[in-house]
Amino acid sequence: MSNKRAGLNKFINEQPVLLLFVFFVLIMVVIKPSFVSINNVKNVLIDVSIYGVSALAMTIAIITGAFDLSLSANFAWGQIFFCFLLNSWGETPGAMLAALVVMLLSCILVGAFNGFVVVFLRVHAFIATMATGIILKGFSLVFTGGNMISTSNPYIRMMGRGTFLGLSYLTYIFIGFVLLAYYVMTFTRFGRGLYATGGNRKAAELSGINVNFSRFSIFLILGFAAGISGAMFVCLMRAGSVLYGTDLALTCVAATVVGGTPLTGGKGSVLRTVIGILLIYVLYKGLAFLGLQGYYNTMIRGLVLLTVVSLDAFMTRKDRW
Amino acid sequence: MRRQLPKRSCRLQFQIERGGRYMESNVIVSRRKKLIGVLREWGLVFSIIIITVIATIIRPAFLSGQNMLNILRAYSTIGIASFGMAYAVIGGGMDLSIGSTISLTAVITMLIVNSSTVATVAPASAALLVLLVGILIGATIGAINGAIMAAVNGKLAESFIITYAMQIVVGAIAQAIVRGNFQAAQYRSGLFKEFGIGITPVLFMLAVALIMQFLLVKTKFGRSLYFLGSNMSAAKMAGLKVRKVRFLAHTICGMCAGLAGVIVVARVGSASVLQGQNYELDALVCVAIGGTSLDGGTGSIMRTLLGVMVVGFMMTALNILGVQSNAQLIVRGAIIVSAVALDVLNKNLKLREVAQ
Repeated sequence: MSNKRAGLNKFINEQPVLLLFVFFVLIMVVIKPSFVSINNVKNVLIDVSIYGVSALAMTIAIITGAFDLSLSANFAWGQIFFCFLLNSWGETPGAMLAALVVMLLSCILVGAFNGFVVVFLRVHAFIATMATGIILKGFSLVFTGGNMISTSNPYIRMMGRGTFLGLSYLTYIFIGFVLLAYYVMTFTRFGRGLYATGGNRKAAELSGINVNFSRFSIFLILGFAAGISGAMFVCLMRAGSVLYGTDLALTCVAATVVGGTPLTGGKGSVLRTVIGILLIYVLYKGLAFLGLQGYYNTMIRGLVLLTVVSLDAFMTRKDRW
Repeated sequence: MRRQLPKRSCRLQFQIERGGRYMESNVIVSRRKKLIGVLREWGLVFSIIIITVIATIIRPAFLSGQNMLNILRAYSTIGIASFGMAYAVIGGGMDLSIGSTISLTAVITMLIVNSSTVATVAPASAALLVLLVGILIGATIGAINGAIMAAVNGKLAESFIITYAMQIVVGAIAQAIVRGNFQAAQYRSGLFKEFGIGITPVLFMLAVALIMQFLLVKTKFGRSLYFLGSNMSAAKMAGLKVRKVRFLAHTICGMCAGLAGVIVVARVGSASVLQGQNYELDALVCVAIGGTSLDGGTGSIMRTLLGVMVVGFMMTALNILGVQSNAQLIVRGAIIVSAVALDVLNKNLKLREVAQ
C-alpha cells in the first residue's frame, strides 16, 4: 500500500506536466466535448508538429547551453525560399527534392553564421542570434518585397492535406524527428557530449569533448530544424511570408521550459518538450475554442511565457540571497 | 604608483571599470596604441563628421540647420528610450518591452488628449496630465520587469525572455484598448502640440540625458549600477542592495519609455499600436554604438547620446542614398553584430594587456 503511494508520489513529482496536460484535456472534454473530435485533434496535432520540430532543436540547444532567437526569421526565410524554388523549378519530384535540399542548406548556412559569431567571435548567443534574426528578416523582406509567395504545387498540397490512420502526414514526420532526437540525445556519444557541454563546459572540455564542435553543431541543427518546420508549414499553408511564425522561437522556449528542461542547461529531455508543446497547444487552442480570440489569446501566450520562465528561473537559481 | 583606493567598495569597481585608461597611462604607450586609444575615445565624433561630409557631398541640403533639427527631432524619442535601455544594459540586463510600452502610452495619451480637447485646442492641463500618466504607466511596467528580475536573480538570458514576454503582454493590452484602430489627433493647437514641434522634443531629450548622466556618475545608485553590471555576486558580497538597484534601473528604463511614448504622439500627431514597433531594436543599436558593452558594467549616457546622433545621421544618409526601410533593417542588425563582436575583441585585447 505504502509502496504504491510512494510510486504515485514519485510519478506526480516527476511528471507534473503530463498530469497537467491530462487535466486540461479532461476540462476541455467536460466543457466542450467537440474539442476532442477527430478533426480538431488532427488540426491541433498539425500545429504541434510544425512548431514541434523546431522545439526539439531548441530543447537540444538549451540543454547544450546555447540559444537561438533567429529561429523565427529562419523559419520564415525557409518558407519563402522553398515557395520561390518550388515555383521556379517546376513540379517534377526531382526538382521538388532539389528545392527542399537547397532550402535546407540555406537555413543551415544561417545557422552556421550564428554558430560562427557565437562560438568563434564569442558574442553572447542572445544578442548574436537576435541580430542575425533582424538581418535575415530584412533580407527576406527585400527578397519578397514584403509580399506573400504562394505555391500551387499539387504534391505539396497532398503532403499538407493527406492523412494516414486519421493523422496528418506532418504528424508522422514530427514523430520521426522525436524518435531521432531521443535516440541521438540518449544513446549516442554526440548527445551525451551535448549534455556534458551544457552542464559544465570547462569540465566537458577537460574530459576530452570538443566543446566548440558541440556548440557549433547545435546551430546547424537549429538551422536544419527551422528549415524542416518551414517546409512543413508550406505544406499546410501552400504559401510563405515574413509574417508567419514570428512567435516560433519564444513558443519553442516556452514549450521547452514548460516541459521541464531548465534554461540553465545540462539537464532535460526532448520527450518532456513533446509533452510541453502539447500542453501549450491544448491551452492556446482550448482558449481559442472557448471564444478567447485575438489579442486576449496573445496576452495569454505572453503571460504563459512570463510565468513559466520566471518560475523556472526562481526554482533553479543557484545563489539564494 | 597606485592611487589610494576610496573607502566605499563600489568606487573601487568604478575605477576598475575605467581602469583601461589608467593602466595605459602608467606604461610607455606605443604610437599605435595611442591611435587606438584616440579612436576609442573619439570614434563616434569622427563617424558623425564622416557621415555628414559624405551625405553633404551627395546632397548639400543635408548640412542645413533645418535638416539637422529634423534629424534630432525625429530621433529624440529613440534617444529618450535608449537612455533607459542604457540603464538596463549597464546593470547587466536588457529590456525588450520598451517598444510595447511606448505603444501603450501612445494610445492612452491620445485617448486622454482627444477626449479633453475642446474646439481643436488641447488644454495645458491635459498635456501635463499625460506626461504624468505616461511616465507612471512606463514606471509600472518597468517596475514589474524589475521586480521579476530582482526576484529570480536573472542573468541576461532571463531578462531577454521575461521582457520579451512582457512585450507580448503589453502589446496585447494596447491592442485590447484601441482594438487595433488608428487614432488621429483632434486638436490643432495647445500645449500638447507644442511638445512635439520645433526644438522642444530635442530639449526633452537633452534634459533627460543630463539628469540620467548625473544620476549615473554622481550618485551611489549610479555607481552601484556599474558594479552590479560587471559582477553581480561581488556587488552582493560588497553589501550593495542588488535587488533594489536592479528594480530601480528597470523602473527608470520603463519611465523613459513612457515619456518617449508621450513625446512621440505629440510629434507625430497620431497614435496606433504599431507606434513603438522596433523601438527596442533602435534603442539597442544606439546603446551598442555608444560603446556600452551589452555584457553590462560599462557605458555612459553621453556616449549613448552620441550613438543616437550617429544612428540618426546614418539612417538619414541611407534614406538620401535611396536605401529602402527593409534594407535598413539589415544595416541595423549588422551594426549590432559588429559592435558587439568588436567589443568582445576589444575586451580580449585588454585582458591580454593586463596579463602581460
